Amino acid sequence: MHHKKHRYRHSLDGYLMILPSYLIYFIFVFIPIIITIYLGFTNYDSYKTLDWVGLRNYFRLFQDPVFLISARNTVVYSICVIVPQIVIGLVMAVFLNQEMAGRGFFRVSFYIPNVTSMVAISMVWLWIYDPTVGFLNQVLKLVGITRQKWLFDLDLAMPSIIIMSIWKLIGYNMIIYLAGLQQIPRELYEAATVDGASSVTQFFKITIPLLRPTTFFLFVIACVQSFSVFEQVNVMTQGGPMNATTTIVHQIYERAFTNFQMGYASAMAVFLLVVTITLTMLNFRYGSQASESEIG
Amino acid sequence: MKQLKWNTVVVIVFLGTASLVMMTPFVIMVTTSLKTAAEINSPTLQIFPHKAMFSNYLKAMSTGNWGRWFFNSIFVTVVVTGVSLLLNSMAGYAFARLDFRWRTPLFFSMMVGLMIPPQITMIPSFLIMKHIPLAGGNDLFGLGGTGWIDTYPGLMVNHLAGAFGVFLSRQYYLSFPRALDEAAEIDGCSKWRTYFQVYLPLSKPLLAALGVIKLTGTWNDYVWPLIITNSEKMRTVQLALTVFKDGVIQWELLMAATTVVTLPLIIIFLFTQRYFIHGLITSGVKG
Repeated sequence: MHHKKHRYRHSLDGYLMILPSYLIYFIFVFIPIIITIYLGFTNYDSYKTLDWVGLRNYFRLFQDPVFLISARNTVVYSICVIVPQIVIGLVMAVFLNQEMAGRGFFRVSFYIPNVTSMVAISMVWLWIYDPTVGFLNQVLKLVGITRQKWLFDLDLAMPSIIIMSIWKLIGYNMIIYLAGLQQIPRELYEAATVDGASSVTQFFKITIPLLRPTTFFLFVIACVQSFSVFEQVNVMTQGGPMNATTTIVHQIYERAFTNFQMGYASAMAVFLLVVTITLTMLNFRYGSQASESEIG
Repeated sequence: MKQLKWNTVVVIVFLGTASLVMMTPFVIMVTTSLKTAAEINSPTLQIFPHKAMFSNYLKAMSTGNWGRWFFNSIFVTVVVTGVSLLLNSMAGYAFARLDFRWRTPLFFSMMVGLMIPPQITMIPSFLIMKHIPLAGGNDLFGLGGTGWIDTYPGLMVNHLAGAFGVFLSRQYYLSFPRALDEAAEIDGCSKWRTYFQVYLPLSKPLLAALGVIKLTGTWNDYVWPLIITNSEKMRTVQLALTVFKDGVIQWELLMAATTVVTLPLIIIFLFTQRYFIHGLITSGVKG
């Protein structure tokens, strides 16, 4: 057999063209992952101390009451934010997928919260939730409900942050769903109408199954994002009151940049990394099985 | 026919209510920014101010170094968006069209970045910035000084390229016909010229989509400026807003500042919606 060696035709140009972006990626994403894993085994304090401490940070992690609270808060936040943002996004998209007056306006008004920075939105919601003269308390007063302390209330602080986050995230889900809806052939609905299926039946029997890849994509993204929630927490409550809203990333930030326990904070980051990757892999496994069984 | 119309009315009423709910925070932001302190502290609900106090905006912008902070945000956003478009699309072109040995492994190793939330790498990124050799008083080994902490390169360099942009560019170029490359090759174009003179001019939809996404992301970024800057003069507008709220909050001024910080992006969004949504969708559909 004739042995033919594959010659790569553009080696130099190819490497040179990817070099700048690969270098930035390598230095600021790839290497940092490795450094995080390494620092997680040390007691680095960002000055002098840098000793190998083995698994001690990880033992500490699972006995640290504040970290355990933050992990619980993160899970609560994730569960309460992921499902509503996807469901409401889907419903909005289905309604907006038909020709009607004002469609463009509706689409923009649902999407604008997503374009606005989390900081700006946090400022506005701080005002809405203000315990003395805030908008929400004033509206509730009209219907005779007494003033609440919202972000300063142990039980209401996390729900307040959750509601505001759902409000911000709906638009993104809606836009992606709208794109998914455009891919569904109209004939399917026409045929179903001829067969006498109601629009509710069509929604459950055609729309939802055919949107499964979109839902799956949104679910994966939402998992990764909500497990790393930080900005609104740091701006609105700094994790308070009494750690009621602290999250894993908020703890990482506090430990690393306020207490300078960079080794310990890195162990938290590794924990989060493992959780994120596990979730993503579970999602892929479960998600792909689900869509296969649907098609096959 | 009548049935259909009735349905449409219900849908419009429903969507109208929903969009009212979605817009309310923005309405409150603007109306509050135009109120007097007395109106804000009044115990009864009044949504609109008696008289629009535009002077609140002047007052808000004169508390603090807003000129500098806006300059910082605009400068960082423009440079990061511009440079990242070039670097990412160039890498995307090479990954899509050029033939080199480690292409596939390099590409997949880069795509790992799509799965890693930036919060996980913030500690080492900060440490790397701190230990950039020969910067900010550092020696050759990156020790002794502050490196790029609290500088423009520190704010920008790690955002100049990214897995997402490279991925999207590659997907975009993969759909180009091979005949394009063959024609360029027959004409004697080098790969560089093919990229700059054939591919890049045909990339407007890609660059617009990537550009608006990067622009929003950079303008709105909070975590990285929070970590990497520490002096007042290096703040970006998002960071400046959070500092504004420390101490006794004057709501009318805080809302005025928030409006000013938010408005440029909302205007850009309204004009570039198409590209925006296109970018989101291509990233979403291909996963």
